[in-house]
Amino acid sequence: MTDKVLIVDDEQDFLNIISDRLKARDMNVSTAASAKDAIRCIDEESYDAVVLDLMMPEMDGLQTLKIMKEKNPDLQVILLTGHATVEKGIEAMKLGAMDLLEKPADLATIVERIKRAKAEKIILVEKKSEARIRDILTRKGW
Amino acid sequence: MTLSIDPVGEAGLKFYSKISASISHEIKNSLAVINESAGYLEDVSLMAKKGMAIDVNRMEALAGSMLKQVRRADTITKNMNRLAHSLDEPVCQTDLNALIELMLRLSERTTVTRGIKVSAVFSEPAVTLFTNPFFLQNLIWLILNFAMDLTGDTKAIEMTPAKTASGADIRFTGIHQLTTAAGKTFQEGPVRSILAVLKSTLQFDEKSGIIILQLPDTINK
Repeated sequence: MTDKVLIVDDEQDFLNIISDRLKARDMNVSTAASAKDAIRCIDEESYDAVVLDLMMPEMDGLQTLKIMKEKNPDLQVILLTGHATVEKGIEAMKLGAMDLLEKPADLATIVERIKRAKAEKIILVEKKSEARIRDILTRKGW
Repeated sequence: MTLSIDPVGEAGLKFYSKISASISHEIKNSLAVINESAGYLEDVSLMAKKGMAIDVNRMEALAGSMLKQVRRADTITKNMNRLAHSLDEPVCQTDLNALIELMLRLSERTTVTRGIKVSAVFSEPAVTLFTNPFFLQNLIWLILNFAMDLTGDTKAIEMTPAKTASGADIRFTGIHQLTTAAGKTFQEGPVRSILAVLKSTLQFDEKSGIIILQLPDTINK
């Protein structure tokens, strides 16, 4: 099964090239050039990972991350930034980011993080299913 | 231990560090595109070695994108260099149009990130003053930062330099939520100190949403 990833960045050239490269690695890639578009995408589709630029016009990455996590707490978000400070990194982790990578990032690292995000998502889904089954068994008293 | 820092120096350092951080972010964005483009070329080379055809149009587009990013990074670096050299002389002949244009470029990332469009209407002919260009840039930066929270729904600020009998002024228009209290608070602290260094004054027209920065023709008198 291919990894489904959403890349969010206001740099259109960056989006074009990185999506081509990830597609060449058998990934199912969607792109969004703004936070608004990205939020619309996660409302409509489910992704294994979201790679999100920290600094964007109108709504920055941290605000976007917060909204995304409110909508879907299990969403695995990797922040990508050219401007990482320790404070921003800590804030991102507190808001539930899976990782924070600095631009320019090595593609192999991005791919590895996406794979890790997918594995994390599978564990979360399995745990939820298990809890649901346990709940049904308890309630029904079988 | 208490640390005493000169307010003008502190404001200058804060301004310089904010601009440096913004510029390094911009350069890293360009580097990220160039980095991915180089990676894409590696991918294509590997595929070509395996006998896959090369898409010439894609290669042309890629070269164009890389050149665009190099030009962008070069412009950013030149602007940073101009800002750095504005500290060379404490007082020098300064073209207001050129200084405002530089400020538009240097603050673009910050203003766009905050969703504000900042523009300028340049004077013809250009107005020149004998002033400290670095602290004038710092003051414009502080005014823009203050004004950006007070634009209301229009989310646009326009800067207009013009010659006056005693020197020049720069009008900042579009500040629709400007109040007397906000203007008074703004002029405390580093702004007051920078205004003293530049021998300048600020006027606030709350009704029209305008801030006027009045500058003398020379600060050497």
